Amino acid sequence: MSTVARPAAPPAARPWGPIRWFKNPWRKPRVLESITWLYLAWSILPVTIAIAFSFNAGRSRSSWQGFSLRWWTQDPFDALFRSPILRAAIFQSFRLAVLTTLVAVPIGALFAIGLDRWRGRPATAANFSVLMAFVVPEIILGLALFLSFRNLIKFIPLGTVGQVIGLVTWQISYAVIIVRARMLSIGRDYEEAAMDLGASPTGAIRRVLLPLLTPALFASAAIVFADSIDDFVTVRYLSAGASSEPLSVKIYNSARASPTPAVNAAATFMLVSTFTVIALGFLAYRFATRGQRREGAVKEFVAY
Amino acid sequence: MSDTETRPTRSRREERRLARQYARQQGAWYPRWFWPSFAAPAILWMVVFFAASFYVILSVAFGTEDFFRNPLPVFQPWWWDFGTLTEQLHKIFGGVYQTVYLRTFAYVAIASVLCLLIGYPIAYFVARYGGRRKALFLVLLIMPFWISYLMRMFAWSSLLEVDGYVNDLLTFLNVLSKPYGWLEGKGITVVLGLVYGYVPYLILPLYGQLDRIDTSLLEAGRDLGASPARTFWRVTLPLSKPGILAGLIIVTLPMFGDYYTNNLLSQSPRTTMIGNLIDFTYANTGLAAQGASLVLTVAVLLIVPMVWYLRYTAKAAEAK
Amino acid sequence: MSQPREHLLRRRGPTSQLSRRQFLRASAGAALAVPTLSSILAACTKPGTEGTGGTGANGGAYPLARPDNPVTLPLHDDIPAIADNLPIEKGATLQIFNWVDYMWKKVISDFCEEFNVDYEWTTFNNMSEAIQKMNSGQVADVFFPTPDQMSKLTYGKLLQPLNHSYLPNLEANMWPTFQNPFYDQGWRYTVPYVTYSTGVAYRRDVVSDDEASAQGWDLIWNPTYKGKVGIYDDSRETLAMAMLRKGWTDLNTGDQGAIDQAEQDLAELVDLVDVRTTINGVYAKLPDGVYDVHQAWSGDIIGAQWYLNDLDTPGTTDVLGYWFPEDNQGPIFNDCITIPASAEHPVLAHAFLNFMLDEKHAFDNFTWNGYQPPLTSMDADALIQSNLGQYAPNTGPGSVPPSLPLAVVRKEMFAGGDFLFLGELSAEDEMKWQTAYQDFLAGA
Repeated sequence: MSTVARPAAPPAARPWGPIRWFKNPWRKPRVLESITWLYLAWSILPVTIAIAFSFNAGRSRSSWQGFSLRWWTQDPFDALFRSPILRAAIFQSFRLAVLTTLVAVPIGALFAIGLDRWRGRPATAANFSVLMAFVVPEIILGLALFLSFRNLIKFIPLGTVGQVIGLVTWQISYAVIIVRARMLSIGRDYEEAAMDLGASPTGAIRRVLLPLLTPALFASAAIVFADSIDDFVTVRYLSAGASSEPLSVKIYNSARASPTPAVNAAATFMLVSTFTVIALGFLAYRFATRGQRREGAVKEFVAY
Repeated sequence: MSDTETRPTRSRREERRLARQYARQQGAWYPRWFWPSFAAPAILWMVVFFAASFYVILSVAFGTEDFFRNPLPVFQPWWWDFGTLTEQLHKIFGGVYQTVYLRTFAYVAIASVLCLLIGYPIAYFVARYGGRRKALFLVLLIMPFWISYLMRMFAWSSLLEVDGYVNDLLTFLNVLSKPYGWLEGKGITVVLGLVYGYVPYLILPLYGQLDRIDTSLLEAGRDLGASPARTFWRVTLPLSKPGILAGLIIVTLPMFGDYYTNNLLSQSPRTTMIGNLIDFTYANTGLAAQGASLVLTVAVLLIVPMVWYLRYTAKAAEAK
Repeated sequence: MSQPREHLLRRRGPTSQLSRRQFLRASAGAALAVPTLSSILAACTKPGTEGTGGTGANGGAYPLARPDNPVTLPLHDDIPAIADNLPIEKGATLQIFNWVDYMWKKVISDFCEEFNVDYEWTTFNNMSEAIQKMNSGQVADVFFPTPDQMSKLTYGKLLQPLNHSYLPNLEANMWPTFQNPFYDQGWRYTVPYVTYSTGVAYRRDVVSDDEASAQGWDLIWNPTYKGKVGIYDDSRETLAMAMLRKGWTDLNTGDQGAIDQAEQDLAELVDLVDVRTTINGVYAKLPDGVYDVHQAWSGDIIGAQWYLNDLDTPGTTDVLGYWFPEDNQGPIFNDCITIPASAEHPVLAHAFLNFMLDEKHAFDNFTWNGYQPPLTSMDADALIQSNLGQYAPNTGPGSVPPSLPLAVVRKEMFAGGDFLFLGELSAEDEMKWQTAYQDFLAGA
C-alpha cells in the first residue's frame, strides 16, 4: 500500500554543467594549465622580443625599423662578430664559465657527500658558510673579494684568476645544494651493500655512489655554467682590463650608456650558446649512461 | 694448559692494525678522517675566500682611507674606528636612510609573496599534472636562467615605455584609461620587476619538493572524504613546506642586495633600495667605509633568517 | 652481525639541534677568520698615518687648481719622461683605458692602420673605479681622466710626464686659451681631449626656444613637464645646477649652508616633477620622447641626433634644443688624455695623443660622439650646418644641427679666467657634496 510517504525525489542533477565540471576530481586541470602557459608566455615573451630587435635595421631597441643583420655582421665597428672587443669578450665569457664549472662542481659535490655523512659542529658551520655564500647579495661578495685581493691576499691577481675564484665561491653553493638533495634521496643502502660485498670505502664511493650521482653532477654543471656565463656583478669588480671583461660586463656597461641592438645580439648569442652547451651536456649524459637508459631521462637530468 | 699460557703481548699499533683488518673484512669501517676529508677542499676554499673577505669587509668598515681616498683596510682590531659605522646606524635609525630600509623591506616582502602566489600553481601543475610533457615544461622553466638577467630587464624596459606594448595592450583591454608611466619612478614597477626576475628561482626548488610528494598520500586524503580544497590545505601544503621555505630563502635574501632592477626600471630617488646605497659608495671615492658599514647591516639582517632556516632543516632532517 | 656496525652508531656526533653555543659559533664562523698574511704583522703604527701624507686637509697634500691659482704639477724622479726620438714599438697592442663609448672605433682603427698596431679597450664607469683599478696594477697606455683628479693623480704618481717633442700638434692646433691650462701649467702631463658645457636640453616640440631662454634652469623645476624630467646621476653636476639656479656661482665651495640649500632644492624635484637620474638620458632617451627636459652636456645633445629616426628627412633634428646661460654663467670644462706611469708602449701612446690632436681625426671623432675638441680649425660658426640636406657623416664642414647654436663651445668662453667649472675639491669638501647627494638619492 502506498500510505508510507516517500520522500520527494531530489531534483535530477544535470549530468553536465560548470559546477559539476568544477567538482569533478578527475578532470584535466585546465585552469592550472592555462595559468602555467600564461606564466611561461609572460616569462619568455619579452626575451623573444629582445631577440627579435637584435635584427633591427636601425639603432633603436624599441621601434622596429626593418630586418637586417647589421648588428650581427655588417656594421663595421659595432657588429657583434666584427668588433674585436666583443669577440674577446665572448672568449672570456666561455673561459670563465668553463673554468668555474670545472672547479666548483667537484669541490661542491665532494662537500655535499662529506656533509651528508659527517655530523658535528664543524659540519654545521661549514654548511652555514656555504649557504651564506649563496644568499649573500653578489655586490657584497664582489666588493669583499676585490678588497681582499688588493689588500690581504695580494698574490692573487685580479683578472681571470680573481674572477674564477669569485665565481667559484659563489657557485659552490649551487653544486652543494643540488648534489645534497640527490644524496638525501639515495641513502646509504647501495654503498653498504657494496662494502658488504667487499669493496673498500673509496671503492664503494667510486663505483656505486658517483654513478648514482651523475644526473645531479650534470645538473649542477649545467646550472653553474649558465649562471657563470651571465654573471656581471662579481666579474666586474674583479676584472683587470679589457682582456678580462666578459660579454656580460660589456652588455651592462653599454646598456647604461648607449645601447644599440648589438647588445641584444650579444645577449642572444650568449643564450644560444648556453642552450647548445647544455644540450650537448645532456647528449653526453645520454651517451654515458646508454647502458642504463630509463624512461624519463630528461626528467632525471633536470631533477633535483 | 693453553688457558694459563699468557698470550704474546701486542703493541697498540699492532692491535689497531689487526682491528682495522678485521673491520675492513667486515666491510664497514670508515676512518675518522674519511668524511671530513671530502668536505675539506670546500671548507678550505670558504675559509680563505669567503670568511677572509668578510673579515676584509669589517676591516674596511672600521678602517680608513689612503691618499687617493681609496679604502685602506685596517686589519688589527685594536685600531678599528667605529665612527663610520655609528654614523651610518644613526642615518638608518631615524635618519635619511630609514625610508630606504623600510622601503626595501616592503618591496622584498611584497615581491616574495607575489613570487610565491605566482610560482606555487606553476610548480604544482608541473609536478602533479606534467605527465609526458614534464620535460618540456622543465626546460621552459629553466630557460630564464640561461638568459642574462639584464636582457630580461631590458626587454621589459622597452615594453613598459609610455608608447610600448604593455600600455597599448592595457588601454586596448580598457584596464587603463590612458597610458601609465610605468618607468617614471614607480614602486610598483620595481616590485613587478623583482618578481619577474626572481620567480624562476622559487619555482624550481618548489617543484623539486612537490615532485617528491607521494601521490598516494594525496589520494588517501581524497579517499577519506576530504574535498580538493581540504586536501590541498591539510595535506599538500604542509608537505610542501620545506620547498616553500627553500624557495623563499633563495628569493628573499638576494633581493635585499638588488640594485640593478631599480637602476634599469626606475632611476628615481623615490624607489631607492639598500643595494643602490651600497652601489653609490662603490662608484664614488672615499665612501668605501660607508659601503662596508651598510654591507654589515645587511649581513646582520640576513644572518637571522639564515640561522633559523638552518635550524629548521636540521630539525627536519632529524625527524626523517 | 651487528657488532661491526656499532662503531658507526657510536660515531654519530651530538644531535643536530642547534644549541646556543652552536648558534654563536656558526655565526662567528662566517664572520671571522684570522688574517694570516701581510698586513697583520706589518704595522704597529696606525695605518694611514704613514705614506704619502694622508688625505690632506684643505688640499694640504696636493694643491687645488683654480684659474687664479694655477698649478704646475710636480715631476717625480722615479717617473721620468721618455727620451727623444725613440722608435715606435713594433707590433704592439695599444691599451686604452676610457669611458664607455667615448671615442669612435673608426678613429682608433685608422690609428691602428697607420701605425700597424692593435688595440684593446678597457672601460670604467666612474673615476673612482678608474683610480682603484690603476692603483691595483692595471696597465694602460692612454688614460682619459677628468681634470678634477689631476693633482691627486700626479701627486700619487699614477701618470708619466709627456715629452712634447712627440706632440707637434699640441701647440700648432690648440686654442690659445688652452695653451697653458691652470690645472696643468705647461701641459706637463695632459693634453686636452674635448670640451663641453653643461646646460639644459629640451625637445623643441614641447618647449619653444623663447620659453627655454626665459626659464633657464627652472625648466628642470617646472611641473608642466612632470614625469619627463631628467638630471644626471652625478653629485657635482646636480648640486651645482641647483646652486646656479639660486645665483650661487662658487661651484667648488665647501660652504655647508650652500650645499644644504642645493640639496633641498634637488629634493623638491622628486615630488614636483618625478625626476629621474640617468647617464644616457639625453642622447638615448630624449630623442625618443622619454624625456622632454634633461640636464645635458653639450656633447650629449649634439650626439643625440644620431639616435633620431628618419635622419634623411631634413628638419628632423629641429626637435633638439639646448639652453646655456648667455652670460656664460654655466659650467664648462674639458677632459684630458694622459699616459699612465705603467704604460708599456709610451712612444706609441705619444703618437696616439698626437694623432688625436690632428684636425682631421679630431673632427672625425667629433662627428661620432658630438663632443667638441678645442682645435683652432674648429671655427664655431662653421660647425653649425647651414643646411641639413642629406644626412651623411664626415662630409662637409659641420655636424651640429642648426637648432643647437648654444651647444657649441666657443674659445671666448674660456678667456678671462672667470668661467665656472667643477674643479678639484679637498677630501672634506668632496665628502660634503657626496653626503648631500646621497641624502637626495635616499629619497627622504
